[in-house]
Amino acid sequence: MSSELSTYDASSFEEWARVMQEIAETRSSNEKIGLCSRYLETLSTSDLALATQFMAEGAFSNISGKRASIGARTIATQAAKFCEIDYDLVFKPCRTATGSSSETIQKLFENLPSARKKWRVNNWSLSQIKEHCETLAQIRDRSKKQHYLTKVWSGLSPLATKYFLRLLSRGSLRIGFELRSVLQALSRCCKVENEAIRYAQMLTGSIAKTAILAKEKRLSEAEFQLFHPMAFMLAAPLSSDKSLEWKDYIAEEKFDGMRCQLHAHQNRVELFSRDLNPISKQFPEIIQTFSDKSLPYLVLDGEICVFKNDTIQAFQDLQKRMGVKKPTAQLQDQYPTIFIAYDLLVYEKEMWVRKPMNQRREQLESLSKTFNIPISKQHNIPSREYMEQLFRRAREHGNEGLMLKHRYAPYSFGERKNHWLKVKEPSGSLDTVILYAHAGSGKRGGSYSDFTLGVSVKDDDRYEEEFIPIGKAYGGYTDEEWKQLNTQMKSLILDRFGPTVLLKPSIVVELEFEAIQPNPRTKAKYTLRFPRFKAIRWDLSPADVDTLKEVERQYQQDAQRERSPQKSGQSFHVAN
Amino acid sequence: MLRIKKARFHGIHIPELALGLDYSDTNVKSIVVSHAHADHIPRNRALSQESNPIEVYATPPTAALMRLRGFRAPIREIPFHSPIMIRNFRLTFYPAGHILGSAMTFIESPVGNLLYTGDCKTPASPATEGFDFPKNTSVDQLIIEATFGLPIYRWKSNEELKAELIEFSQKSLDDGYTPIFIGYNLGKAQEMMHMLKDMPYTKQIHGAGFPLCKVYEDFGISLGNYQRYERKTSEGCILFTPNSGLESGFASHIKKRKIAYCSGWASHEARRSQINADRLIPLSDHLDYFELMHFCEQLQPKKIYITHTPDPNVVLHELESKGLDACYLDLAAQEEDA
Repeated sequence: MSSELSTYDASSFEEWARVMQEIAETRSSNEKIGLCSRYLETLSTSDLALATQFMAEGAFSNISGKRASIGARTIATQAAKFCEIDYDLVFKPCRTATGSSSETIQKLFENLPSARKKWRVNNWSLSQIKEHCETLAQIRDRSKKQHYLTKVWSGLSPLATKYFLRLLSRGSLRIGFELRSVLQALSRCCKVENEAIRYAQMLTGSIAKTAILAKEKRLSEAEFQLFHPMAFMLAAPLSSDKSLEWKDYIAEEKFDGMRCQLHAHQNRVELFSRDLNPISKQFPEIIQTFSDKSLPYLVLDGEICVFKNDTIQAFQDLQKRMGVKKPTAQLQDQYPTIFIAYDLLVYEKEMWVRKPMNQRREQLESLSKTFNIPISKQHNIPSREYMEQLFRRAREHGNEGLMLKHRYAPYSFGERKNHWLKVKEPSGSLDTVILYAHAGSGKRGGSYSDFTLGVSVKDDDRYEEEFIPIGKAYGGYTDEEWKQLNTQMKSLILDRFGPTVLLKPSIVVELEFEAIQPNPRTKAKYTLRFPRFKAIRWDLSPADVDTLKEVERQYQQDAQRERSPQKSGQSFHVAN
Repeated sequence: MLRIKKARFHGIHIPELALGLDYSDTNVKSIVVSHAHADHIPRNRALSQESNPIEVYATPPTAALMRLRGFRAPIREIPFHSPIMIRNFRLTFYPAGHILGSAMTFIESPVGNLLYTGDCKTPASPATEGFDFPKNTSVDQLIIEATFGLPIYRWKSNEELKAELIEFSQKSLDDGYTPIFIGYNLGKAQEMMHMLKDMPYTKQIHGAGFPLCKVYEDFGISLGNYQRYERKTSEGCILFTPNSGLESGFASHIKKRKIAYCSGWASHEARRSQINADRLIPLSDHLDYFELMHFCEQLQPKKIYITHTPDPNVVLHELESKGLDACYLDLAAQEEDA
């Protein structure tokens, strides 16, 4: 409850958790930032570093690459044991009701006499909690992990246990306070410019490091280190009603690949993914190609794509390479990858990020020429009509769409209004019918928010059913539609299986998705990539639902989609 | 023992006694209405057939509230603790602590007795007649609701909740905000008004809830100083509305406002973003899991029937471990009047 006087040490984890809860219970983001900044002011530099890291990155710093590696089930079964309740009969229904495992654990620890007698608040400091996380990460054995977990939550209040579990999962704390806000609170507490903090954050990629520099008024010392990743710049979607000064923008084709930062100096080359993890081992051919060039000290931003027969291949092909730590020669041969650069962030030990895009580009082109580096091709945009023409051409090349980049914008981390804009279109849509509804989690806990959607097979000799599932969607609808769905559903429920209800096929949903993928383990033999609601079609009946044959037709059409080779109308090139 | 039939969406049917409890079908001679929430009141249509007159029984406050909410058929008003004989059985109402007039129904018949709780709360909501049940008699069959039958639900005391309502109102008003309490029009709104009755501010309640307040006062529950909601004078008052009111423009002109969502469901964190409230106050008019267990243990009925529950296994499992014989009567869980 707010306005309660705290009984904990300012530097204790209990106090941190109490403040997080108060932030969760505060609606205005300005008040949230104020609360957080007043709390941060009370901390020493080292505690400030830990407190902000716990808020924005979790138990381990993003750049450490460390994980607690502890599964949700490992935690939940141990919590049930701690409470002396049956996991399946009691814990699971409680979790279904709240939609959150950590919230369930908090409440059970608070409420059940069998659990209450087992915890006593130890007033651990932030650094002691950090040590507990480190120890947990080092333990390999599942039952030893569980034993250690018990030790930790025996010394925490249930509220602190909830947040401790959220730290471990690297997920959001679910208090409506993300990195951007933590930086603002830091700026307010240390009385330094928000822009300066954001810049330092981009260089360090670590909130703890940024916090220390801000506190000690040494932000200008934020230093870039080669072979340590920087935070990425992101694009906002272009809304159709937005009118831009077209002459201020250039267009590049948006590759349907994997975002990547390439660091190089002489024969050493390293690659980092968008979440700042090293991925060099996964793409040895790119490392080889670039180390052979013996590049000067530089950092490039770009995209990894599968490139074969002079053509950029589908994202599905790249997926065969993603996460494979040591790809075999055969796999590399079948799905050869390349790195296409589109930005220059560091060159010859100088930071280039604050220079306008057109200057960075000019230098990138010159490097492309000297070292034979593939770079995206840029186009002027005389009008929206021309932009649309470029968009269609990008699609023909097998790319996702376009990136619009402001000519004079610096490179800055995160999303910046109107600096980078993406133009995309979903690859397809289907009219489907809701077959099952599933109890939601997180924001939509305690109601039905996930839906299994089906296509029609009633005239299909291969099946006896009328409808079979094609995908599960949990977004794309408005709050209003979601309420309406939950109301309409009540009269359609045929059966219940724990958190899932079987519905009479009745509600038709126009589903939008990125791609259709073959999946032999499912009844339909196909699944959809990133399916979401486009519209609830109250005007349609189950008789109007698309057939499995239509899914198969769309898949064939997409897989065989002409991906024109790069010779004609290039997506990328080597500058000359 | 009596044979108990669940009638989906129509309450409970005791065929041997031709009796329906919170029942809407016409194949009975008597219907008991436990309290005046809409999902417990029989439909007018069901009772209008002259060929087959059905007698409806309720406590006097419940009868008054039912009439205000559009119930047209005659009602036999039976005060609490006043047994009456109906054909071959005896009926007594005991206060259920859920809303004003809410009753637990005790049926004594030649083949055994039965206690039907309807919706209930112990310790009782302060804006009710209290909570009481038949003592010095062993109960054969207990039909009890378990809307909050999971151990994640444990309510704060009435005193703590009252203090929280007062603190929220005072802090909002001191900071120049208008406090708005979201809660059901019948029961929850008056309970909150009663808790805040001594605060020196005018309370305004949504038009649909306003006429019901009079019944509370007629039956001796003080609600302090209150008025019907009026747009142009509402700023700076303490306001009460159901969530649907807020969605259809209630107090939409007041920019500086703080919203408290008051319901048992407010104990779910996810409700924070679903309802968009500044404060979630888990103020429930139903038993929590622990109160439910305590009541069943105290009563020691021969057989327990659970209704309205998120997952019956949880309650059944715990009752069994306490050596109580229990089973599940499947009635759809209700959300609106929690």
